[in-house]
Amino acid sequence: MIRQPASMRAKVVLGAMAVVLMLAGYTVLSERQHRLNPDDTTIPTWSLLGRGVSRIVEVGRVVPGSEESRSWLARQKTRWLVADASATGYRLFLGLLLGVAGAVVLGLLMGCFEKVEAFFAPPLSLLAKVPPTAILAVFFVLTQTYTQMCVAMVAFGILPTMAQAIYLGVKEVPRELIYKAYTLGASHAEVVWNVILRQVLPKIIDGVRLQIGPAMVFLIAAEWLGGEVGFGCRIRLESRLAHMHTVYPYLALLAGFGFGMDAALRRLQRWLCPWCAGGC
Amino acid sequence: MAGATNRGIVFECRGVHHAFGPNMVLHDVNFRIVRGEIVALVGPSGCGKSTLLRAIVGTHPPGRGRILVGRRGAAEMAEVAEPGRDRGIVYQRYSLFPFLTAQQNVALGPMLDQTSLAFRAFRFPSWRRLRRRHMEEAAELLARVGLGKALKLYPHEMSGGMCQRVAIAQALIMKPEILLLDEPFGALDEATREELQRMLLTLYAENCRAAGRGEEPPLTVLIVTHEINEAIFVGDRVLGLSQYWDWRGAGHAACPGATIVYDKAVPVCAPDADRNFDLFRDRRREILDVVFSPEVLPDREKHCLFWRQLENGEGQGVLQPWATAATTSGAGRDGSSTPGRPGPSS
Repeated sequence: MIRQPASMRAKVVLGAMAVVLMLAGYTVLSERQHRLNPDDTTIPTWSLLGRGVSRIVEVGRVVPGSEESRSWLARQKTRWLVADASATGYRLFLGLLLGVAGAVVLGLLMGCFEKVEAFFAPPLSLLAKVPPTAILAVFFVLTQTYTQMCVAMVAFGILPTMAQAIYLGVKEVPRELIYKAYTLGASHAEVVWNVILRQVLPKIIDGVRLQIGPAMVFLIAAEWLGGEVGFGCRIRLESRLAHMHTVYPYLALLAGFGFGMDAALRRLQRWLCPWCAGGC
Repeated sequence: MAGATNRGIVFECRGVHHAFGPNMVLHDVNFRIVRGEIVALVGPSGCGKSTLLRAIVGTHPPGRGRILVGRRGAAEMAEVAEPGRDRGIVYQRYSLFPFLTAQQNVALGPMLDQTSLAFRAFRFPSWRRLRRRHMEEAAELLARVGLGKALKLYPHEMSGGMCQRVAIAQALIMKPEILLLDEPFGALDEATREELQRMLLTLYAENCRAAGRGEEPPLTVLIVTHEINEAIFVGDRVLGLSQYWDWRGAGHAACPGATIVYDKAVPVCAPDADRNFDLFRDRRREILDVVFSPEVLPDREKHCLFWRQLENGEGQGVLQPWATAATTSGAGRDGSSTPGRPGPSS
């Protein structure tokens, strides 16, 4: 029957089965490809993937007498994983932080004040339709450093869509709740802080969750353009050499990164908005 | 802004008109409410009850006319044009903040009223002490409305009746001059509706006791309802707002909007009174004819006899001191229906 509920056990078993099937399919495919061409690197075997992972996590070449040879911390930074994850993580978090902060301020102002809405709504809806990857060249010219370009790409990539989502969320706050807050003696600022923001907080967190995927797309696209560290750069460099045994672990890392952030945000939502446990 | 003197009158609508573009909704709405009354406002769908309520709350001020509130201790009534803590409101829907528990919902009012964002952010220890007191007050009030065990429940975890009780407690904690109820029991089942009606009557009984002691009754209620039996059962007075009145006789070429066509005191029911609506049959028939029937177009003053009833000593409940004062001073009996006669000496 449509929408018949499934037990938690059935859900876990089915989910695990899907992952196992995917891995088994990959194993069969890579073994077959390897039989046809033992030097193939496009669909590497598990052992080759293991070598790729080792390459990612091992300490890089250390020049005697250099800072890396003296400092443990500096030596860790020669590992691709550490260098790339810290560079990409920094760009992603800074971009997300700026984008979300801008979107929250803009969305709240637009939802609360009709004149602000009238001013910002047309350009925002236009900007939301422009694919940020298409304006990469603009950021490339306008920003001064490579990191700035990546951060701007993420921030401006997510801002219009998220601001629109927040603004629509604010518009959905029942007027009665706002009127009631005023009858309870709230000031305008208190209505925004204590009523509207609290009411749309789950939607903001949901918005961030939904924007993690696009933000990573924008960031990888920006990193793909140049630079030396970062997941996008590494994937570009390694895929040029057809080193898919290094590229696939990076893709898995990206997936894990996104999944981890999503799980953390869901946990944050449960903690900050316990009233939303049954769905807002 | 100054208004009329505030001698026992807690609320007044004076010459309120309202229109949405060319669509006239309210025409010269006038009424005064005595402190401690439960006044039921009835009227046909689309007559402008909600518009009037919004004007009273202050979210949509009237196009013309004045809304005046008499605050405790103030000599004169003050005109209001925006929402304020002197008018509490309970809506049929969205009556509670969904992100707060029952206790937090009730404690929200004192928090917003007594502290500012800056106080809460920069004087945290003082704020925590105050917060504890607010939460205790909220718990006491919730216990009074029979929800002592539901303090930690969120609105989505409570029934409709429980939510409305919390909403009433939320309004009561602010000690508003007047509590506005916008079809508060409309979405509830019959049993819960009766339970809440009796709760209102219990609050009214407290008003009567206070009036009997010569004190100011603590709570005044204006309840908007489309249920006539409920209006008569819960209220001590029924106001009828209707677009069906003799506007031609008043010299208008087209209907200028709804106005008050019915204003009479009704028998006061005790909280444990038998809820036998057959007893109200004649009154119900009269209200149906005067307020709801498009065929009957009464003169707008003909059934607005509340103040004349008081002058003739017909007031019950909190109105009794008024009626007694009027009969002992020999006022009335002259046929005057002018609202706002001087109140009882207390």
